[in-house]
Amino acid sequence: MTDLARADDTTPAPPAAPKLVQLHPFGLGGARTAPISLATGAALLGLWFLAAQYRLVPPLFLPSPQEVATQFLAIAEDGYAGATLWEHVAASLFRIVTAAVIAASLAIPLGLAMGLNRWAKGVLDTPIEFYWPLPPLAYLPLMIIWLGIGELSKIVLLTLAMFAPICLSAQAGVRALPIERVNAALSLGATRWQLFRAIVLPSALPEILTGLRIGIGVGWSTLVAAELIAATRGIGFMIMSASHFLATDVVFVGIGVIAVWAFAFSYGMRLLEAWLVPWKGKS
Amino acid sequence: MLQVRNASVFFPARDGRTVHALDRASLDIDAGSIVVALGASGCGKSTLLNAIAGFLPLSEGAITLDGQPVEKPGADRGVVFQKDTLLPWKTVAENVALGLKFAGLPARRRRERAEELLGLVGLEDFADATPHELSGGMRQRVGIARALATDPKILLMDEPFGALDSLTREQMQELLIDVWARTGKRIFFITHSIEEALFLGTTVVVMSPRPGRITARFDLDFVRRFAADRDVRAVLSDPRFAELHDEIRNIVHRPSHEGRRGGQREGWLQ
Repeated sequence: MTDLARADDTTPAPPAAPKLVQLHPFGLGGARTAPISLATGAALLGLWFLAAQYRLVPPLFLPSPQEVATQFLAIAEDGYAGATLWEHVAASLFRIVTAAVIAASLAIPLGLAMGLNRWAKGVLDTPIEFYWPLPPLAYLPLMIIWLGIGELSKIVLLTLAMFAPICLSAQAGVRALPIERVNAALSLGATRWQLFRAIVLPSALPEILTGLRIGIGVGWSTLVAAELIAATRGIGFMIMSASHFLATDVVFVGIGVIAVWAFAFSYGMRLLEAWLVPWKGKS
Repeated sequence: MLQVRNASVFFPARDGRTVHALDRASLDIDAGSIVVALGASGCGKSTLLNAIAGFLPLSEGAITLDGQPVEKPGADRGVVFQKDTLLPWKTVAENVALGLKFAGLPARRRRERAEELLGLVGLEDFADATPHELSGGMRQRVGIARALATDPKILLMDEPFGALDSLTREQMQELLIDVWARTGKRIFFITHSIEEALFLGTTVVVMSPRPGRITARFDLDFVRRFAADRDVRAVLSDPRFAELHDEIRNIVHRPSHEGRRGGQREGWLQ
């Protein structure tokens, strides 16, 4: 032992800049993809610019980046179709946020109930499994016939689209709860309500937040459908209205605005997750 | 006194047959004793623990704790699981005090009691850490502190050190003996390590599978000796320790049909 320890003292010091190694990764491993993604974005923008510059595609189909930028400034300044850009955005945001609040406040309790109770699961499974694979455009006419052409039909359409993913994730969150965690709480004297409040709800929270993020994504992708008919405000309305006049540059502006807002919501949800469930993936 | 009388458990198997998981097991756990159930997987030791904890009803037989029948889980039986079941969104102190929160104790009293128990398991500096900052052994210590917080009449431990490396495991065994010596809690402990069983148990019951049942019982004093002089070597080098190790080893590895014939060891079943 001591001899070995002494031999240790005579081993040469490591080189100043040793070659750092790690286990060979499989698949992506921890490789950084952000620079590649940024470069791809720049390349696509360049291609768009060149295609428009050299008239590879008629401007009616593909306006140049400069035209889109100019159109954006113009709309931001003067508005479009009788409303300012912010009024369009605000109308869409109002619909999305209202629908998200309604969908979450219905879907979270119902989803939890479906994970916990045989009757809730049995009764609610049929309508949810029936309607949620349907494309919202398919039942949009029904919404209009039943609920009219005002805000109500649009918000109900968005709510229905957002409800299913949130409800299904809340249910999955309860199902993923390990039985040991429940037994541990019961052997510490938890009542049924304490078990729900202290164990079930926080355990399901990561899944619920994932469902909320997916739900809001679905909401944005349903927005144009919701604003398809009889709207006078909204980004989706702006896109549909511009398409009637083949104003491709306005369509591009609308798509860009939706993309930015949808990204902002998704990012906000990630922040919310990091704040509410910092333990996610750590245990 | 915790009494298990002729406890049998039958599970439904997937193919429609019945699994006889526990066959007429009887056991007494007196104040101040550590009863260790030892056996290979499938011998019914976890089934027995789950029944005592109240997680599992018996098909036949009865379990009573101080005369009261055991029917469902309760804070009078603290459980330490093999897999740690700490809540990742709570701090270590909050995890320890969980049972006290369920009991409605005010926050300041909970905190005091949690700190006291963390001191008992040597984690006083980690009260405000989160569970994922701790090592496996430290988490199990938090689990023990949490199970003790409600001052249960008995501590049920389901292979609590099974997932730990052998060095940590030895430390945890000594820590458990300290906790036992200081609190006087009776303990029901499950393991598949003969050495662990001999080191920890005041009584060791050997169980064998198909159907799961108690086949032998040994009353030991190694743990009391260790608690008195803290000399691990004296215990491990005791020839009686090695003898019992071999004897139990033979019982555990005996083919089950032989076990059925020759399993009745005198004095093991009162």
